Amino acid sequence: MKFKTSYLVAAVVAAIMIAFPTFLGAYPLNVARSVMTYMALAITWDMLLRSGQISFGIAGLFGLGSYASILAVLRGGMDPLLSIVFATVFSGAMAYALGFAILRLRAMYFSITTLALMEIFRIVIHNMHDFSGGPEGVVLPTVIFGGNASALYWLCLGGLFITIGASWFFEKSKMHLALTAIRNDETSARSNGVNIFKYLLITFVVTSAMQGMMGAIQVQSYGFTAPDTAFDANFTLLPLAIALLGGIHSTVGPMAGAVLLGVAAEWLKLKIPYGHLIVYGIIIILVILFMPQGIVGMIRRAGRAAGRAGKQTGANHE
Amino acid sequence: MSKLTTTGLTKAFSGLVAVNNVSFHMDEGEILGIIGPNGAGKTTFIHLVSGILLPTSGSITFKGNDITYAPAHVRSRMGIARTYQLIHPLENLKVIENVMVGAVFSKDKSLKEARKSAEAICAELELGRLERDTAQLSILEIKKMEIARALANEPEVLFLDEVMAGLNSDETKQLIATVQRIARERKLAVGVVEHVMGVIRELTHRVIVLEAGELIAEGTYETVSKNPRVIEAYLGGAA
Ligand SMILES: Nc1ncnc2c1ncn2[C@@H]1O[C@H](COP(=O)(O)OP(=O)(O)OP(=O)(O)O)[C@@H](O)[C@H]1O
Ligand SMILES: [Mg+2]
Repeated sequence: MKFKTSYLVAAVVAAIMIAFPTFLGAYPLNVARSVMTYMALAITWDMLLRSGQISFGIAGLFGLGSYASILAVLRGGMDPLLSIVFATVFSGAMAYALGFAILRLRAMYFSITTLALMEIFRIVIHNMHDFSGGPEGVVLPTVIFGGNASALYWLCLGGLFITIGASWFFEKSKMHLALTAIRNDETSARSNGVNIFKYLLITFVVTSAMQGMMGAIQVQSYGFTAPDTAFDANFTLLPLAIALLGGIHSTVGPMAGAVLLGVAAEWLKLKIPYGHLIVYGIIIILVILFMPQGIVGMIRRAGRAAGRAGKQTGANHE
Repeated sequence: MSKLTTTGLTKAFSGLVAVNNVSFHMDEGEILGIIGPNGAGKTTFIHLVSGILLPTSGSITFKGNDITYAPAHVRSRMGIARTYQLIHPLENLKVIENVMVGAVFSKDKSLKEARKSAEAICAELELGRLERDTAQLSILEIKKMEIARALANEPEVLFLDEVMAGLNSDETKQLIATVQRIARERKLAVGVVEHVMGVIRELTHRVIVLEAGELIAEGTYETVSKNPRVIEAYLGGAA
């Protein structure tokens, strides 16, 4: 029963999201795309975090996907929609190759290496003038779907749905057991048949592919990119803030965080155009200090406490 | 035929030789006691055969296959399971999920099948209320959960590193009976590390004694406990 209602809620929310363009104008659709992009990135970051690995490389894969897509169209004459698929596979393949080196690292060493990789991608693109357009970036002759706001929205929504689907699968399948076991206790995981490297590699490849996919969708929707745009540190920092605010180790946490922070961000940008990043920073610090479980974690805890209180009054004599 | 054998197994930690040239074997259905004073190398020995540590020299075979350098997860899939002296619960998984891990990853079971076999094993161990968080368990329950998780791997060889430590005498008696029954029904070879000699006498068919990493005696509990070298090792350790 409980499952059925949650599926129903999910279906209704999905239907409303699909229907947004019928009653929203171009500006709110644009804001929605930005929120959805950060939401997808936050979810992918969280998926890897469930194994205990903290990545600072989201912007790197996002930028890599952007460039893979835009260059496939410009230099290879690829169909724009197909280039998004290509960029997804390319980012995943890159993560697969890099995974063999960096997934042996743990904790701070892993995090710093992912950060360094992002910087390497950016510098390489920056310096390959003839092929990548160098620091000035590259421009597409036309935006995908002729720039139709509804079509762009649905494209981004499609990317988000794929991400949510993958994250949901990770929560409901044996990936959940594998990643949680790795996060809690690698020794125990190994002694119970968990091939730690295999599950980290799967997760790293899947999440990197989706980060690349969101980069490709973004670049095809705007029609241009440059190293400083594609590898903008915001693509690393905001997803972290969103997931921490909403609640880590779940799919709904980052979703709630993205809506809240996304809407707040738009509002802040209008109110304090130059100071909004400072406010983000303050939010991150406050959340880490006072709500390490995020919003969703707090709600769950409150729910559990209420449940316990109810049980105790019901059955006192145990 | 022996299930598990080691030949000249040695582990040195930068100078300190924790396990020194140990050759042993374990047969189907036998409960083997592994005893020795504190720091004798018992836990290190289990780390070596279960793949948590790799040896400095020597070799390990399991059912005739050389597994000296096989990764731990491969060994658990082959049929070597263990518990830990220091408990290792997976605190973000429910009790039932903790046990399922063994079945899912060592035996490639679907979540549904794994849940079923985990429930059966927990019932056998009289471990109930499986939807709890591990933080809510008593020490006896955590030990049972870790034994259940090891059993969910459906091993042929099982090592229990001081599972009775911290239990009262009733709990100990109960767990001894459970281990005996499980070993008998599954034709399991069990390696038991315990400091309480009563437990070793009650539970084991055969005993090996380690001292400062070396195997100094082997035989039934009765013969070993009369061995002057063993008495010396224990007295020396106590003095
Ligand atoms: N990782 C390690 N690095 C260095 N020395 C270690 C390490 N692990 C164990 N030792 C040392 O190896 C020796 C054997 O330790 P081990 O834990 O195997 O003994 P034990 O027989 O299990 O003792 P106890 O009965 O106290 O559990 C000890 O001197 C210990 O300090
Ligand atoms: Mg020990």
